[in-house]
Amino acid sequence: MASPEPQPRFGQSVKGLLSEKVSACSGDVIALTRQVLKGSRSQELLGQAARNMVMQEDTILHSEDSLRKMAIITTHLQYQQEAIQKNVEHSKNLQDQLKHLLK
Amino acid sequence: MADRERETGSMENSNSSAGQALGPNSATDTALFGQIRGSDPGTDADSYMPVPKKPGIHNESGVETAEEAVEPAEPDINELCRDMFDKMAVFLQGELTATCEDYKLVENMNKLTSLKYMEMKDISINISRNLKDLNQKYAGLQPYLDQISQIEEQVTALEQAAYKLDTYSKKLEAKFKKLEKR
Repeated sequence: MASPEPQPRFGQSVKGLLSEKVSACSGDVIALTRQVLKGSRSQELLGQAARNMVMQEDTILHSEDSLRKMAIITTHLQYQQEAIQKNVEHSKNLQDQLKHLLK
Repeated sequence: MADRERETGSMENSNSSAGQALGPNSATDTALFGQIRGSDPGTDADSYMPVPKKPGIHNESGVETAEEAVEPAEPDINELCRDMFDKMAVFLQGELTATCEDYKLVENMNKLTSLKYMEMKDISINISRNLKDLNQKYAGLQPYLDQISQIEEQVTALEQAAYKLDTYSKKLEAKFKKLEKR
């Protein structure tokens, strides 16, 4: 991973060697950072997670839609139950009348 | 001759001490710079003027000397170093920020999904409570439903009785007509 050390060349100044060393070190730091990020596999894992979530979104919305419809149906059932309750209270009188008729 | 030997020795000294401040009276002058007129520097100091001498020049005594090529010092080296490290930090920050942004994206998606699921949970709780109430109310309606079943049986029995009565009345009518004809 590390770049090869520059060989001292005759005639090359100390400053030139120093600048080469500095650039090599900075390149090493950059390569190290990239290798650490690549080794953690965070990019591909997070990308896969985002893709899976996008695929699930449609299912979640459909489920929510179904639940809202179920809530509406339950409300209608409540209304019907109240109407039945109101009408069923007349059946007592009706039964007494039938009993009298059938005696 | 002795002067030239002195000059060679001073040149060798100057090779090991490059970068020293050069002045008209320094020992390196005789090494780096030749003399214009070729006269003895000790005797003609007033008319001494330094002249740059090419490196690698062969001395008359046969010793080749070389001079280190000195680059001019860059101005504000500290500032340049600071700039370099700042830019390096910005670059590394950018590399790490990309991954941070990915994490933030997934975090936001998770938060939105959890909110969605919480809403669905509330809806489900309401539905469950309403259905429990409905089941209880329908359980309370059961006696009435039994009464309705009894009413239906009684109505069926009444209908049978009505049919029998109808049949009997028709028989009676027929008998009455027969008796009336006699």
